[in-house]
Amino acid sequence: MLDQAINFTTHGGQPPAKQGRMQRMVGRGAVGLAMRGARPTLTDLHQSGSAKVFLPRVHRDVPELVFLNTAGGVTGGDHLCYDMKIGTGVAAMATTQTAERAYRSTGEVGQVDVSISVGEAGTLSWLPQETILFEGSNLGRRTTVELASDARFLMAESVVLGRAAMGETIESLSFSDWREVRRCGAPVWVDPFAISQKVLDGSESAVTLAGARAFATIALIEQGAEDAADRFRSVIESFDGVVAAVSGWNGKCIIRMRATDAWPLRRAVAQVLKIARQGSLPRVWQE
Amino acid sequence: MTADLLSLTQWLSPAFPLGSFAYSHGLETTVVQGDVRTASELERWIKDVLQHGAGRVDAILLCQSLKGAEVADLARALAASKERLEESEAQGRAFVETVNAITGAEFAAAPLPVAVGIAARSLSLGPVEVASLYLHAFASNLVSVGVRFIPLGQTEGQQVLSALHATITDIATAASTAALDDIASAAFGADMAAMQHETQDVRIFKT
Repeated sequence: MLDQAINFTTHGGQPPAKQGRMQRMVGRGAVGLAMRGARPTLTDLHQSGSAKVFLPRVHRDVPELVFLNTAGGVTGGDHLCYDMKIGTGVAAMATTQTAERAYRSTGEVGQVDVSISVGEAGTLSWLPQETILFEGSNLGRRTTVELASDARFLMAESVVLGRAAMGETIESLSFSDWREVRRCGAPVWVDPFAISQKVLDGSESAVTLAGARAFATIALIEQGAEDAADRFRSVIESFDGVVAAVSGWNGKCIIRMRATDAWPLRRAVAQVLKIARQGSLPRVWQE
Repeated sequence: MTADLLSLTQWLSPAFPLGSFAYSHGLETTVVQGDVRTASELERWIKDVLQHGAGRVDAILLCQSLKGAEVADLARALAASKERLEESEAQGRAFVETVNAITGAEFAAAPLPVAVGIAARSLSLGPVEVASLYLHAFASNLVSVGVRFIPLGQTEGQQVLSALHATITDIATAASTAALDDIASAAFGADMAAMQHETQDVRIFKT
């Protein structure tokens, strides 16, 4: 249990941004956690603009951070930052309250920066809800993770092109999603996923999107993570409506999945996370 | 200039003992899954790998390496799967060993595009030329995999390779002025195929 199990959303901030306005939405939510005795404790909290952080009262030893963008989405020129500092020996989970939405941009990039550090013997599971890219969106995201020598990190991120259930077909967008995990300063996993207009135009290609519209990447990065590949393999082979693949090597286990719609993908991600987290999941991921 | 071009041509020729013929970059799995059956499908697949996957990524790594950047760790971190890392590392190791043996240099082992970039620093050739020849060798090897495994006729294979020349020079030209932050990949499907290859029942190729 945390000492400060409080909802902080009433502090600071500005009114929710509105679409079509001239001024840019800027938001930053930053949280630091450290052990005080045997308990994880909040050491740092910053919220500005449209970014909010909740620490819901969760009755267990693994604190759950929940980030929220009160603007309801990201459009051209916006800049949203989420920072997490997970101290020595702290085990924490973090997620987002809702799916993030990238709306039509008039040209400028909407930027989301996620910055994470995990100290010695620390663990973070960064499990945001899916990012939905709408027609004409232009989103750049940069996730950088610094791990101490024996820190552990789990990440699951899903991207959905429009909403198939609503009959939406995406014909133009730009998406750039750079993920970089370093251990003791050296890069251990760099995943520079990007969907350009050219990729979208040829999205049936088996090399690129293979006609799918929902994509998930799950990364487990810790010493011995390669051994987890067999555990995941038996589960992903049973998926219906989701194509999945896994590889484990050098302290990494990477799972990739694609589907024609968000819902089957979300269920598949939840099943993998249940194994990776041995059942302990943020509430939004519990089925 | 001519002597340097001959050195590079030798290093990137199919006869240079890298063992490249054993690496399909996930193409074996893609063929087994039925996604590449004809010469035109092979051309499209290799073209997309060049434009949206390892072709573009490796070309930028090579050009940065050629210009003096230390990118071996980044190249390893960019590997999309266990076998992709082996493909890049094993060929890079073989390349460095052979170049060292011929030239008396003492280059350290590095993933292939990085190793070629380091060795090519001693040549008076520009990044566009070095990256073009590198991508040509990469594409040529994938054509050879397709010809053997689909299978296709030798002439069809050479037609595919010729049709890729323009793509190769475009990517090399763009890579010659690209920064490390410009590295991007949309090869989600090819990366998954490379992962699936690890547990494929019958495997002729190492990747």
